[in-house]
Amino acid sequence: MAETIRTVPPDPPVLKRNPAADPRKMRRIIAEDPEWSLNVVPLLTNLCLEHIASNFEAKPMLDELLPNHKAYVLEKLPPSLPLDVTANLICDEGYWKKCCVERWGLGDVAAYGNSWKRMFFERHLENIIELFIPDVTDPKLVLDMVPLCKDYVKKLNISQLLPPIKDPQKAEEDDSSDSASNGSLDGPSLDHFDFGILLSKLIYLEELHLVYGVKGCGMNFEWNLFEFTFRDCESLAKALKSCKTLRVLRIHQSKVDDEKCRMLMNYLLDHPSLQELNLSHNLIGDRGARAIGKLLNRSQLRSLNVYDNQIRGPGAQALAHALSKNASLLTLNLRLNRLGDEGGQALAQALAKNQTLVSLQLGANLLSEPTALALSQALVKNSTLKSINLSCNTLGQDGGRVLEEGMSHNGTLVDCDVRVTNIDQESEVCISQILRTNQSKTRRKHE
Amino acid sequence: MSQNGNHRCPDVLSDNPEERIAARRLRIAARNEVKKRQEQGEGSSKKVEEKEEAKSQEQVERSERRIKKLQIDGTELVSNIQVAADARESLKRDELEEARRLRVEKEEAEAKSSLEKFEEISKRWLQAKLREVPQELRDALNSQTQLCATLIEDKNKLITDLQQELKVSDDRYVRDLKRQADEVDLMTERMEEQIKTLITSYREEVKEIQCSFDQEQKALLDGNLQGWEQLRKARGDKEVQSLGERISRVEEFEVLLQKLRVEDSEEYNMIKSKLETDVQVLQQQLHQMKATYQLNQEKLEYNFQVLKKRDEENTITKSQQKRKITRLQDVLNNMKIKCTKQEKQSREENQSQTEDYRRIMLQYKHMQKKMRHFAVMDAQKFAEVWHMNDDEVKDLVSRGLEIDRLIYQQQLGLKWAPPPLPFMQHSGPVRPQGQAFSSALQTATKMLEIEEEEEEGRVEEESQTTAAEGSSSEVHVTGSETDGTGSGVEKHGKVSPKTVKRLLELLCNEAGFLIESKLLKLLSPLEKNEQSLMKLDSIFSAMGIENEEDVYQLAEFFVKFKQQQQQQQQQLQEEEEGEATSGQDDRKEGEDLIHPNDVLVALKAFTSQHCRMRDTQAVGQSSVSVVPRSVCVDVQYWESMACIISPAKLTVWNSLEKALEKYHTILTERSKLLVDTQKLRQQNSELKMLLHQYVNSRVNVELEIPPTQVIQIVKNDVFNSQSVQRTMKR
Repeated sequence: MAETIRTVPPDPPVLKRNPAADPRKMRRIIAEDPEWSLNVVPLLTNLCLEHIASNFEAKPMLDELLPNHKAYVLEKLPPSLPLDVTANLICDEGYWKKCCVERWGLGDVAAYGNSWKRMFFERHLENIIELFIPDVTDPKLVLDMVPLCKDYVKKLNISQLLPPIKDPQKAEEDDSSDSASNGSLDGPSLDHFDFGILLSKLIYLEELHLVYGVKGCGMNFEWNLFEFTFRDCESLAKALKSCKTLRVLRIHQSKVDDEKCRMLMNYLLDHPSLQELNLSHNLIGDRGARAIGKLLNRSQLRSLNVYDNQIRGPGAQALAHALSKNASLLTLNLRLNRLGDEGGQALAQALAKNQTLVSLQLGANLLSEPTALALSQALVKNSTLKSINLSCNTLGQDGGRVLEEGMSHNGTLVDCDVRVTNIDQESEVCISQILRTNQSKTRRKHE
Repeated sequence: MSQNGNHRCPDVLSDNPEERIAARRLRIAARNEVKKRQEQGEGSSKKVEEKEEAKSQEQVERSERRIKKLQIDGTELVSNIQVAADARESLKRDELEEARRLRVEKEEAEAKSSLEKFEEISKRWLQAKLREVPQELRDALNSQTQLCATLIEDKNKLITDLQQELKVSDDRYVRDLKRQADEVDLMTERMEEQIKTLITSYREEVKEIQCSFDQEQKALLDGNLQGWEQLRKARGDKEVQSLGERISRVEEFEVLLQKLRVEDSEEYNMIKSKLETDVQVLQQQLHQMKATYQLNQEKLEYNFQVLKKRDEENTITKSQQKRKITRLQDVLNNMKIKCTKQEKQSREENQSQTEDYRRIMLQYKHMQKKMRHFAVMDAQKFAEVWHMNDDEVKDLVSRGLEIDRLIYQQQLGLKWAPPPLPFMQHSGPVRPQGQAFSSALQTATKMLEIEEEEEEGRVEEESQTTAAEGSSSEVHVTGSETDGTGSGVEKHGKVSPKTVKRLLELLCNEAGFLIESKLLKLLSPLEKNEQSLMKLDSIFSAMGIENEEDVYQLAEFFVKFKQQQQQQQQQLQEEEEGEATSGQDDRKEGEDLIHPNDVLVALKAFTSQHCRMRDTQAVGQSSVSVVPRSVCVDVQYWESMACIISPAKLTVWNSLEKALEKYHTILTERSKLLVDTQKLRQQNSELKMLLHQYVNSRVNVELEIPPTQVIQIVKNDVFNSQSVQRTMKR
């Protein structure tokens, strides 16, 4: 044994010359060679599979393979393969996770329905759209992606939309003019990406989040980077109308004013699936609010978010009118508007009639005692509202007392925010006590 | 069980059934009691558990409440910032609105005041136009410029104010941004803090809940252990008590057992001996049974083997038979097919052959007819040829005689006398023998006629005349042959014509089946005699009887047959009855001829015999009888013709011929020589002519040596040679 060990390593060619000549010898060599192992020899199947993996781009074959071979090939596939090969062929989550991690690092897949593939395609499409420059980027780039990703994209969260690039000279002129309105008058050059070509083709799209603005512009700030033109609005509205599966629409910080709001609402009327509308941080005034109120009763909206706008009394009255007839809206957020007592009272009266609203936010709306009175009366009648936010209003001590009285007759309200409303400590404590009893009551009911 | 078993411990395994029942009942009761006790125990423990559960639940609820409170507080703490920001924002907006309002007011006021100032200035421009004094004008101008300056100053002031405001708001924006960033930082800090506190509190709560559960468990365990201990103690006491009882009982039982043992051992010994004998007997039986079994087994095995073999053989034979059956079936089928084929074929053949036969028969008849025809024709031809040859020969004879006469009279000069010529008067061929026998029909007619005549009573005469008739016709041809029918009749004289007649009548009546029905119909209108004649004709033709001889043979046969029969009968009768009576009957029966019933049998026998006979005859006769018929007569006849010139005359003729021939040769030689001389003469004359020509031609003159000289020489030579030759010839 020792001899063989000694002889084998220095003179392998002799041994290799004719290993089959003497079966005994051959057997001994195999036994004694410490490095020899059957595992070293790659299996033919493995070789074939590696070959398939390396030539996958030229000749994709996956469905024909056995399940364990398939897994092997998928493991071997590089994430850099072109999407038109992989998109509709590979369903394996492992592969797409590899792609996502390679591209964006780790991400929370829970936000994408626990599907790495969906995550990949949504983020890929978002990237394309966010970097889309009108008149420069070829729309084909987006359209080519559509057949590949339409089956997987359910949500689009677009955090910026680039404006078209202008001539430097013109840009200077614009700089000198220092006016946003002037820029918008320049015509079609300021229009953003047209969603009309995309939305109707994404047949599974459910959520759309949009910001007409540039992210992280820093010191290159220009007003016209944040422009939402009328034409943009029109094309978007038409696109939204064509997208029948849309469930959630959010347009943030995009300077949506009354006119644009009206146009959007006009196109969103009778939308078959829209449930959530979020138009926060815009410039919607009373007329826009009236349009939204019209939409409320001609859709299945369950949640409406219009905080940080410029809705005043008349707009609030219109909304309240709609709310009094509505039977689907669950949450209404009107924080940071200028409703005033006029709107507050109207809303409170509407609340007395409404039987579906669960959450109402009226924070920072210049409300005062009359509204508190109306609300207390409404709370007595209402039995569905669970949460109400009245913070940052000057209800005053009388208002607080009135509210406390109204609350005492209510058994459903669980949450009532009355911070910074200048009410008594006493009534505040009373209110919190009532809330607590209501809470325990509901919990028992649940149990 | 132990308590009850003091005096009579009921055992489940005891032999007494009542005792067993009692024992079972006790057992069931004990079990029920145990179960009840257990349930009670469980109930108490449940209560304890519930209490404990309540404790732990309380703890859980408490911690839940605490967590909830913490959460609410935390969210409040966090949202406080938001609310503050909101409030600030709202305040800011109010302020901004207010500021804007003020600004607008200010601007409006400014605009108003500046407009007033502008109006004043423009008014002053009008006033200034009225002034013509330059100083005044300058003053006015100055004042105007001053006014304008104030206006501009106002505006500028406003602008600077606004710019100030803008700057302030910019600063404020920056400040706001900073503050918001701070707030956001604060918010995140608070969030993190809250998360931390929440985590710690959750952990604490979990620990506490665990603690409470542990405690609960511990308490429960303690309680249970205590219960167990108590139960164990009670059990131990009970055990000790029962042990004492048990010991006392064991002693009692031991005594009892001893007694029982003694009794049992006695009984056991008795039974043992009895059983041993039984065993021995049984063993013997077993051995016997084994032997028989062995025997049977062997037998059965042998039988089994035999049966197996047979079975195998049977299977083999069965298979063979099956195969054979199938094969034979096949063969049968084939044969059937063949048979049907053959049948068809044979039927066809039969048909074709019958047709052939018919055709051949027809042909044969035709041939016969032809034969007859040809015979007649041959006879005619023969006669003609005969006549012709006869005439020719006669001619030749006459010529020969004439020549003979001429030779005798002219050449020899002798007297010639004609030889006798008896045949010269005779003409026509020598008649062959002719009809040696009359046909069967003729005899029949004769016979019938005989009958009639017999009836009239002139039997003898008529028979003679008929005989004469038959003989005369024959004699007429041959002359020599006189034996005709009469001789035939005489030959078969044994059979009287009367019997023959009766026989024929019989035949007529009995053998009607041989006559064709058509013929019968045709015959019906004819006379009875004629009818019977026709019938006989057809019967004879059917039976193959042609000659009179045959008829007589038939008659003879019949008589013989009858006699034979009679003899047989007689023998029989003799055996049966007396001999005297039978002798008389014999005569009568002989005249009565054959019984009609036997006719057919006799006929059959006759035909068979007759046919055989005739066949042998036919083979002999057909070749011999016809040819030698007239040879000797003819030879005689023709020889008589040929011998008309006698041999003596012939020798004379021969010698004469020789002499004449010699004479003739000489004559011919002479004629030849005459012709030769004639030819030579002619040649000579021609040569003379030629010579003359040559000699007279002019050429001869021109020649050195004229041929004439040569010729003369040659001529001489030639002449000499010729003369020599001539002489030689001579």
